[in-house]
Amino acid sequence: MKQHHNFLRRQCAAILCSFAAAASALSLSVRADEHYDVYNYNRLGEAIPSQAGYLAERTVSGTDLGTAALSNPQDLFRDSDGCFYLADTGNQRILKIDRDFSRVLHVYDRFTMPDGSSTTLKTPKGVFRSPDTGLLYIADTDNSRALVCTEDGSVVQEITKPDSALYDAQLTFLPQKILCDRAGNIYIILSNTTKGAAMFSSDGEFIGYYGANAVARTAKVLADHFWNAIASEEERRHSTRTAPTAFDNFDLDTEKGFIFTSTSSEISDTDTVKKVNPEGYNLFGYMSDYKWGDLFSAWYSGTSYKTKIIDLDIGADGSINCLDQKTGRVFQYDKEANLLFIMGGTGDQTGTFSASGNVSAIETAGDRCEQIYVLDAGKGTVTVFAETTFGRTVHEATALYNGGYYEEALAPWEEVLRRDGNYRRAYLGIASAYYNMGRYKDSMDYAKKADASRSYNRAFERYRAEWLRAHLNGILLGIAVLTAAGLLFRRYRRRRQKGSGKGGAAE
Amino acid sequence: MMDLTQPQWVRHVVFHPFEGFEDLRWKKGGTLKYTVIIIIALFFSMIAFDRWCGFQFRPLPDALFSVVPYLMRSVVYFLAWVVGNWAVCTLLDGEGTMRSICIYSSYALIPYVVSTFINVILSHILVQEEQVFFFAVYYIGLIWTGILLFSAIKAVHQYSVTKTLAAILLTVAAMLVILFLAVLLLSLFQKVYVFFYTLYTEILYRIKV
Repeated sequence: MKQHHNFLRRQCAAILCSFAAAASALSLSVRADEHYDVYNYNRLGEAIPSQAGYLAERTVSGTDLGTAALSNPQDLFRDSDGCFYLADTGNQRILKIDRDFSRVLHVYDRFTMPDGSSTTLKTPKGVFRSPDTGLLYIADTDNSRALVCTEDGSVVQEITKPDSALYDAQLTFLPQKILCDRAGNIYIILSNTTKGAAMFSSDGEFIGYYGANAVARTAKVLADHFWNAIASEEERRHSTRTAPTAFDNFDLDTEKGFIFTSTSSEISDTDTVKKVNPEGYNLFGYMSDYKWGDLFSAWYSGTSYKTKIIDLDIGADGSINCLDQKTGRVFQYDKEANLLFIMGGTGDQTGTFSASGNVSAIETAGDRCEQIYVLDAGKGTVTVFAETTFGRTVHEATALYNGGYYEEALAPWEEVLRRDGNYRRAYLGIASAYYNMGRYKDSMDYAKKADASRSYNRAFERYRAEWLRAHLNGILLGIAVLTAAGLLFRRYRRRRQKGSGKGGAAE
Repeated sequence: MMDLTQPQWVRHVVFHPFEGFEDLRWKKGGTLKYTVIIIIALFFSMIAFDRWCGFQFRPLPDALFSVVPYLMRSVVYFLAWVVGNWAVCTLLDGEGTMRSICIYSSYALIPYVVSTFINVILSHILVQEEQVFFFAVYYIGLIWTGILLFSAIKAVHQYSVTKTLAAILLTVAAMLVILFLAVLLLSLFQKVYVFFYTLYTEILYRIKV
């Protein structure tokens, strides 16, 4: 970890030196507030210091909430009413926590089955509450079942291993995460299949699998494909099969109804984050190889700190918040998958998490993601990050920009630049705003600063047309004068050659 | 007949691709001074293309600029070409000397250099959608230079067409060998340097203790 920090710091230092003193002073004065490096990536993929979009506000433990200490909590969910549901996995219970995240409202550890008997949970790893049905969905992992229950803890449905031809009878049924889409279908992530999430209809019938990842196009896969094409039936049956990596967490975009999946595989970078429509089609398929999280992984003491997205949350504004288990960092992207902010790290201070492999879930609250909640299974705490002024300005500008309100986004983008001159998307945003306002020269300047040749090209085309129109008379006059001068000069030269030619004809 | 000054020779050669170099050879025209100028111009045309291009065409971010690749692509490649061609054609009964190969080859590069400079200017006028003009100029320059280079080699060694083709192919192979050996030599020298440097630090430590 230390190496990573040093690497970043070194890079930060090198780049800081080359920037204006004012900008560097600005970044440095704020950096002191966080217990981790606040950075962002520039156009070349280099880590550069940045202003913080979020500050770690407080850390909440089980005792702070008025209950026993949390034990290996694995999931956190915030419902449409603003209440939180926390899967306190090691304590075999689900906690309902109030909107301010200050006290427990209800402890679910005992449920009434439809036949009147009582039941308990065994390492529940996932919890979800549907805004449409109002029911609670619990992945009761070690009981090999999922429970659907009402607010007061009476079970209305129990989903166990499907007795279906579609489901391999030899496979175990260990639900990890669960959610329910707006049509009432229930999706359960199982730990032992790469075919996607198991999908159940609202009455608990197994429908099939949903939204599997694509197979990474490695050299071996391509070679196998070639050999399979020319192999006989017999040979093909004995050849190795390639399976995609399995996604292991998901979140429902309550606004639009898309399901976002995240994959924590360390062997493949394909489909790390997917945006899946109800048909199971990945809308992020065109950027299947997009690098989510840290662009470079650090090596320290024989351990690789390669980004491992363990959970993601879709904010009310469509932002994609990814939690990196390896480095304890949160990466916030806007809905177009542009990186906005990076926060968090490993350590023992507020805003940092227990070393490698212990953060487990992320949730956001607010219309613009004003709060981000990160669940640390190792410490048994929830850390609350709150949006800064800078973060609010960026969110405001991004929302306007993504909505197509380029001119309205101009003022917030300028405010962003006043606070962080390295924020590239601000230059792009201003270039677009000036373009829409017809200030093509200014648009070109900002596109140049953003290093965006496409935007520059667009503005330049209009600028050129304007310039030509304004100078048309001058240009035509110039051409006429030049042609006349050329003709005259030619005649003059010919006459002179004729004059001297007679004398020099001896040659 | 054909008592041309040096600048006139340049013009004559460039605009008469098929007999220009024969004339140049017959009248023993051409000077190394122009070779130097042309190669320097080639070097700067490449840099200008990447640095002074209109922003809508610029592929290279400022931070990644280094002068070494440009030196490599102009001066080093040209020298490798001359040496390789001389080495090959001496064995193949070519009549050219190192000096004449230098002069003739460099004169042949003029259209390419000029087209690159024209493109630098064009890039400030055109938008991305009009890239065809850009490519047209580039390919005209490239093909023109190709033809000139061919007839330069043919004239300087007094070869037939087929023999010229063979000589050019062999020259390219020779260039590869030369560059390979150069890289090898460089890395070996680096090793030698590292060896002596380690020796130096070792002695320094011993003295200190």
